Amino acid sequence: MTKDNKIIPLMLLQHSDSAFPSGAVSFSWGLETLVNRGIVNKADDVQAFLNAHLTARWASLDRIMLVHAHQSWNDPDRIAWLDTLTEAQSLSAEQRQGSRQMGAAMLQMHCKLGTKRAKEISTAISEGKLYGHVSVVQGVLWRALNFDSYQAQSMAAHGLSTAVLSAAVRLSVIGHEDAQRIHSVLLPAVAAALQKPVSEPEEAHSFAPQIEIASMMHEMDEMRLFMN
Amino acid sequence: MNDTGLRLQASGGLQKSAARIGIGGPVGSGKTALIECLIPDLVSRGIEVAVVTNDLVTKEDAKRLQNSGLISPDRVLPVEAGACPHTIIREDPSLNIAAADKLNSSFPELDVIFIESGGDNLASTFSLDLVDYWMFVIDTGAGDDIPRKKGPGIIRSDLLVVNKIDIGPYVGANVDLIKQEAVEVRNHRPTLLTDCKRKIGIDLLVEQLIQDVLFTDV
Repeated sequence: MTKDNKIIPLMLLQHSDSAFPSGAVSFSWGLETLVNRGIVNKADDVQAFLNAHLTARWASLDRIMLVHAHQSWNDPDRIAWLDTLTEAQSLSAEQRQGSRQMGAAMLQMHCKLGTKRAKEISTAISEGKLYGHVSVVQGVLWRALNFDSYQAQSMAAHGLSTAVLSAAVRLSVIGHEDAQRIHSVLLPAVAAALQKPVSEPEEAHSFAPQIEIASMMHEMDEMRLFMN
Repeated sequence: MNDTGLRLQASGGLQKSAARIGIGGPVGSGKTALIECLIPDLVSRGIEVAVVTNDLVTKEDAKRLQNSGLISPDRVLPVEAGACPHTIIREDPSLNIAAADKLNSSFPELDVIFIESGGDNLASTFSLDLVDYWMFVIDTGAGDDIPRKKGPGIIRSDLLVVNKIDIGPYVGANVDLIKQEAVEVRNHRPTLLTDCKRKIGIDLLVEQLIQDVLFTDV
């Protein structure tokens, strides 16, 4: 085992830890709206919500962009194209905005850490050449840190799961025990999603209408703990 | 920020940057009212101001400032706290940093950006990666034993503001005792008394900020 191989598992823990600054604490990805309207009000509902997010949006859209960005991490034109496709495939404004904000938050930390390509991408965003969607940013930066594609996908799925479950706990719809139980129950679904063939970027898509509608409704909600 | 007033941006370059001042404290201690008092005083001295608010549940504080007529509404940016006001000013301040960077880039003339935390408890503290200086606001209505409780907000803040000194006598709080004990537990670091309704203590607060962090008198 080389030195890198010994360090990479530890780095994986660091970069997928919820303590790594990513802005995720401020996002519920549509959950807040559904909780406030009584549509999600018990553990089974949270499980269904997270499962829908993981399988009907993340696996078929964000994961695809992440994998292609990971492959093309040194190709600015293709990265910009993937980023634009992600923007186009994100229906609700708060989903788009949240994805961009998380991408920017991640870049901010990686610029400080000196991760390769972080400054270039950050500059491209500030110059209006990139939106900076989180899945694309994850693909590039995690490749720059020598995580392989499977590791990068696992980290992203883990991050989404912990963010949604943490939001559900803070919204008082589940407790900490249910959060861990749901996380465990959904691991096979995540593992299955990671095994699926990766489509071409043009075929990447999401179909989670209730989540999309909830995100749109959230834009007008007066009571809001979360950004989306 | 370094002592030349330049800040290293995420993209790498150095650019002139406004001082970032955190304002934390419990719910209802008067953080927003304090900002409403500070803005006209600072503006009258030619100091350019913007604000990031971390409302807990609504956009109440952001809208209040945007509609106040004291500041251009586009100089006030809200950041939702995800029910964790302390997390977004301390463990993961990335969205607040992004908001402050955005204000800085939209208004390069800014001298100061206030970052108002959502109402929290006495353990609330700011990351020094987010702010250059931070004040903690308590009010006499919460009782005169608050300084004795020695929370990190009381002890570690650069400046402690004891607000609403006008209501102390009506709730049985000894304002002199609050001041005396605050000075003691803070080892004589700055503690100021204010009454935002009557604008008492605001001039001293502005002078303190100028001396400690804005340096416009240099």
